Amino acid sequence: MAEIVFAAGAPHAPAIVGLFDKAPDESRKVVTDTYTAISRELRDARPDVLIVFANDHLANSRITFYPDFLIGTAPEHSGPHEWFQEWIGCRDYTAKGNPDVAKALFQGMTRRGVRMSARDENLKFDDNISVPVTMTNLDQTDITLVPVLQNCTVPPFPSAERCFEVGHALRDFIEKDLPADMRVGLFGSGGLSHEPGGVRYYKIDEEFDRKFLELCAKGDHKTLFKEITVDRMEEAGIGGTAEVLSWFPVMAAIGERPGRSFGYTGWPSFRCGIGGVIWDL
Amino acid sequence: MAWEKFNPNLAAHDLVQDMKWNPEIRKEFKTNEAAVLDRYKMSPEERKAIKERDFRKLYDLGMHPYLGGQLSRFIWGNDAGKGAVEASNKLVASLQGHSRDIPEN
Repeated sequence: MAEIVFAAGAPHAPAIVGLFDKAPDESRKVVTDTYTAISRELRDARPDVLIVFANDHLANSRITFYPDFLIGTAPEHSGPHEWFQEWIGCRDYTAKGNPDVAKALFQGMTRRGVRMSARDENLKFDDNISVPVTMTNLDQTDITLVPVLQNCTVPPFPSAERCFEVGHALRDFIEKDLPADMRVGLFGSGGLSHEPGGVRYYKIDEEFDRKFLELCAKGDHKTLFKEITVDRMEEAGIGGTAEVLSWFPVMAAIGERPGRSFGYTGWPSFRCGIGGVIWDL
Repeated sequence: MAWEKFNPNLAAHDLVQDMKWNPEIRKEFKTNEAAVLDRYKMSPEERKAIKERDFRKLYDLGMHPYLGGQLSRFIWGNDAGKGAVEASNKLVASLQGHSRDIPEN
C-alpha cells in the first residue's frame, strides 16, 4: 500500500514573490516561515511524487469548455507560462513530471466516479504551480510533480462536499492503485481570502482566514463544513477565496488530522491573506 | 458583483485568453486595438465598455472578474515589482466609481 507521507496547504499569491521586498517585516516573516517549513518538511518526508491540487486561473481552457480537474501528465513541467513571467517575477523552472502516476490517477479517479481531464502537454502554469515550486525549490529535488488544476472560479465549480468525495477517492486510489512502496505527498495550493479583479481587490477578510487556518490545523472537518461554506468563501472575496477548496481533497485524503500553521498576514498589497498548514501524518 | 451576472458567452473572455496565449495579439492590441476587437463577435455594448475602459459595465454584462483583472493589466501594465499597482488601482476605481479604498503602498 502506497503511503501518504506529506500533506500541506498554502496560498500562492504572486505578490508574495513580486512584492516580497516591499512588504513589512512581520508579513515577510509569515511568508518565509511558512514556505521554509513546507520546504524542509517536504524534503524530510522524501515523497517519490507530490500531487499538487492547484487552481486553474482560466489559463488552460476556454471558459466555455472548462474542466473541473485537469491532470498534467507531461514528463516535465516548466513555468511560469510566458505571459505570466512579467506578472510574477519569479525564476524559470522545470520540475520532473510523473506520467505513470498522473495517468494512473486519471484512470483511478475515472473508475471511482470522479470526472477528471488529462493533458500530456506542458500545462500553462501561473502562480498556482510556480509559487509552490519556486518557494520550495521542488525542481532541485528528486521529487516528481503531478499537477491537478482545479476549477474554483468558473461557476458552477465543485462544492466543498464534492471536493471531499474527490479526496476520499484519492485516498482509495493511493492505497490500492499505486505501487506498494511508493511515498506520496499532497499539497493544496490556493486561497486565502482575496477577490482578484473584483471591486474588493484590496480587501482581505482576516476573520475568515484565521478561522479557516484554525479549523484546518485542528483537523476538525465537521466544523469546517459548517463554517467554511462556499457562500462564506464568496463573502470573503468572490472568485478567489474559494481557491481554498483545493485544500479540501488533501484534507479528505488524510482524514481528521491536526496540523501546524506558521502565522498569518493580511497585508493589503499582497491582495490575499497569507498563511499555510502542514498536517501531522 | 456576484455570480448572478456572470455570462460565460461574452467574447471578451476569448479576447483576454488569446492575449495571454499569444504575444503577437498582445502587441497588436497596444498598437491597433480596434483591429483586434474587430475579430471578436462582441455586442456593441461589450465593445463600447472595453473602448471606454468601463469595467463596471463589463462586469454588469457578465465578464468574469479574473479575466477582467487580466484585461486591466494588458491595458495598464503588469509589472511584478510594482505589483501591477497602476492596473489594479485603475480597475478598482472604475468598478467603484472612486478611489478612496486604494492603499498607498
